[in-house]
Amino acid sequence: MVDTTVSASVTRPSPLVAMVGVTKRFGAIAANEQVDLEVFPGEVLALLGENGAGKSTLMHLLYGLYAPDDGHISVDGKEVHFASPRDAMAAGIGMVFQQFSLLPNLSVLENLLVAWPAAPWWQGRARSIMSEVLVWLRKLAPNLDPARRVSDLAVGERQVVELAKVLNLDPRIVILDEPTSVLTPDETARLHGFVRNLAVAGKAVIFITHKIGDVTACADRVAVMRHGRLVEQGVSSSKSSDQIVSAMVGQTVLNRVGPAAPVSPVPRLQIFKLSTSPNDSNCPVDALTLTVGSGEVVGVAGVIGNGQTALAEAIAGLMPVLTGEITLDGASLACLGNGLPPPTRALAYVPERPIDNAVVADLDVATNLDLRLLQAQPFFSANLDRAGRAAALISDYDVRPRNPDLAAGSLSGGNLQKLVIARELSGSPNLVVACYPTMGLDLIAADAVRQRMFEHAARGSAVLWISEDLDDLLQYAHRIAVLFNGRLMGIVARDGASRDRIGRLMAGIGDEPRVA
Amino acid sequence: MSPDRSRGIASILASILPTLIMAVVFILVAMAFFMSIGKPPLSTLTDMVKFAVGDTYSLSETLVKTAPILLCALATIVPARLGLVSVGADGQLFVGALFGTAVVLAFRNAPGAILLPAMLLAGMAGGALWGFVPGLLRGRLDANETIITLLLNYVGALLVNALVFGPWKDPSNLGWPATISFPAAAMLPGFFGTRAHLGLVFGVLAAVGFGMLFAKSRWGRELAILKGNAKVGRMIGLSFPREAMLVMSLGGALGGLAGICEVAAIQGRLQPGISVGYGLTGFLVAWLSGHNAFVAIMVSFLIGGLAAAGDSLQLFAKVPAASATILQGLLFATALAVGGLSQRWRASRG
Repeated sequence: MVDTTVSASVTRPSPLVAMVGVTKRFGAIAANEQVDLEVFPGEVLALLGENGAGKSTLMHLLYGLYAPDDGHISVDGKEVHFASPRDAMAAGIGMVFQQFSLLPNLSVLENLLVAWPAAPWWQGRARSIMSEVLVWLRKLAPNLDPARRVSDLAVGERQVVELAKVLNLDPRIVILDEPTSVLTPDETARLHGFVRNLAVAGKAVIFITHKIGDVTACADRVAVMRHGRLVEQGVSSSKSSDQIVSAMVGQTVLNRVGPAAPVSPVPRLQIFKLSTSPNDSNCPVDALTLTVGSGEVVGVAGVIGNGQTALAEAIAGLMPVLTGEITLDGASLACLGNGLPPPTRALAYVPERPIDNAVVADLDVATNLDLRLLQAQPFFSANLDRAGRAAALISDYDVRPRNPDLAAGSLSGGNLQKLVIARELSGSPNLVVACYPTMGLDLIAADAVRQRMFEHAARGSAVLWISEDLDDLLQYAHRIAVLFNGRLMGIVARDGASRDRIGRLMAGIGDEPRVA
Repeated sequence: MSPDRSRGIASILASILPTLIMAVVFILVAMAFFMSIGKPPLSTLTDMVKFAVGDTYSLSETLVKTAPILLCALATIVPARLGLVSVGADGQLFVGALFGTAVVLAFRNAPGAILLPAMLLAGMAGGALWGFVPGLLRGRLDANETIITLLLNYVGALLVNALVFGPWKDPSNLGWPATISFPAAAMLPGFFGTRAHLGLVFGVLAAVGFGMLFAKSRWGRELAILKGNAKVGRMIGLSFPREAMLVMSLGGALGGLAGICEVAAIQGRLQPGISVGYGLTGFLVAWLSGHNAFVAIMVSFLIGGLAAAGDSLQLFAKVPAASATILQGLLFATALAVGGLSQRWRASRG
């Protein structure tokens, strides 16, 4: 079952980390079952698998967050029992988490100092240690000003700071938990190069991912997990992408079918010279005009933070419109004087960052699934039919664990995303606005989400799809609108689109007169 | 015994264990306190229980204290369901007393059937106004409701002072700052000849009513959603500002009711010092109850008993006057410490 191909190098050093027969159960569910995994110094191991395959759990065991129920872990040939991440760090293991552990109110430098073991008690003007603290940051991002507050940083920059923080502890084993899911193509390429350098410097890197691109770009070896077990491992160059994908997804067949081209679409969503007021840290939209017709899927490309949020929130009726109009089938969508969206059930809205914008973390999954129906309930009512509707949605959209009474906040990011998709895309909306709907989802789940969106398009809905994944847009969207600094740089039909051209528009370099 | 069954018992034990530990720790701390002031710990402790619930009179005095504490606790709990932290029950209590008294002074010859309800409604309206203002400021301007309610406490108490030292002072009082005595028609009826009064019934009814609303109604769920994530609430058409004004006004109305009941049942006239810290006691009761209206009934009774027993102890066992307040403080400190420790204990066990 487990592919134990010995790597090409004949005299391998002894493994830095060896996990033997590691098993971890949560209740009746085995998150990891008899996993044997070795990691050698100077190599990048890509740990692949779908959401819930057990990758993160396995790494949490290695990082001391959980203790294995069975099996053992050794570092440098010595068996270890970590009681906490502190012990793991002492043994030279560093982990960069998917959800960052930075303090948003502090500056980059202060964040690095907080985690710096040799930080002095008095940090007033400790210039002498600054250079040491900033060594890794300078290498990773020479242009990042350490005096900036973390809350002002883009998500890619935060990732870099988080990585510098971990590298400052001088770990020999670096674990990266899906580091590229929030990065732009450029940042991803930089990270890949950097990961290679770490391996050259003799560190062992474990790269958790579900993107094949990460494997081909920087991994020496791959290990694929499915349902808590290690199902495939070997030298990455010996595995084709298809082999890896089929190891990850098992029997499941991915659709990878785009939406049918709409025949003479009727305009449904019409945005005319929309400007939003500059508020908070959001980049406002500036005189944007865009039409999405029935059955049409329009992708919105752009580097994160170039007005996507304002555009989506203005359409959803959550952000005041400064000038211009937004209409759906002729009826205005702009938010009312009281700051509330107009009462319409014709809109499905998948916001970005579901934990902040789309779910109530303290309340249970069933209530979160029923949010849109709340207003239609009688004043006194038992909770909605949980066993029926909620359970059906949970299984249809594969939200795990399948327990409607669990607090939504205890779900993983990917499952929260599925929960929101289930709530928003289960009706029959006339307009779908989806912000990064596949972010953090694995291949199967992302494919399922796209198919749901395309089904609505096939019914005749207008679909506006904001995405960070240019390849996805190029493959599936009928047209691609490119945002830069809140302005529409251009709308490109898929047939005439190339990565280069869209990349230029994303960088603010127009190649054609701006669409008025 | 089946493993399932024993796990069920274990989980029940685990859930009441913190309360048990809390009770034991409090008794030990209270005994240590009695020893420190030179009183025999065990007999003083039994005296305390006797003075709280030992006979009809003690019980009725306990209920007298329970009523305003419960209403003030609810004045905290209702806004807390939206995530608002109101410490303004005392101010609401004073303004409620003031508004209710205004009605009595204006229509002192009206029959009880009209005067009593009008007085109570006016008291609630006054308290509601004292809650609405911070609610409005929070909802529209995002101003911190905790600080505003705290400051309005002083305004409320001083407004009462200004009136009873000034225009509302009964000239026949020879300088004593108080209004005229309420006419009999404006006195809230008591039970069985004791001082225990209708305010307790209002408190329990309100606790049960709001408890049901929070647990079973759409409104309760809407508050929970807005409390958890106001952005999501807005997405489904719920208005945080509107609900903030509503819950603050409702809470204020209950605080105001506590005030007018205290005046119309116990004091018989408006004067300074109608509240002996009921507002803040209610705030602490609300926290101890986990903002659960049903639990607040029990906790208010417990704290009411402690306050009543403290008064009696002072009279008969010659313990210092401050003892009741000290015991109350020790109880809250114990509850918070044990609660925090048990939470940490649970977290460390995963």
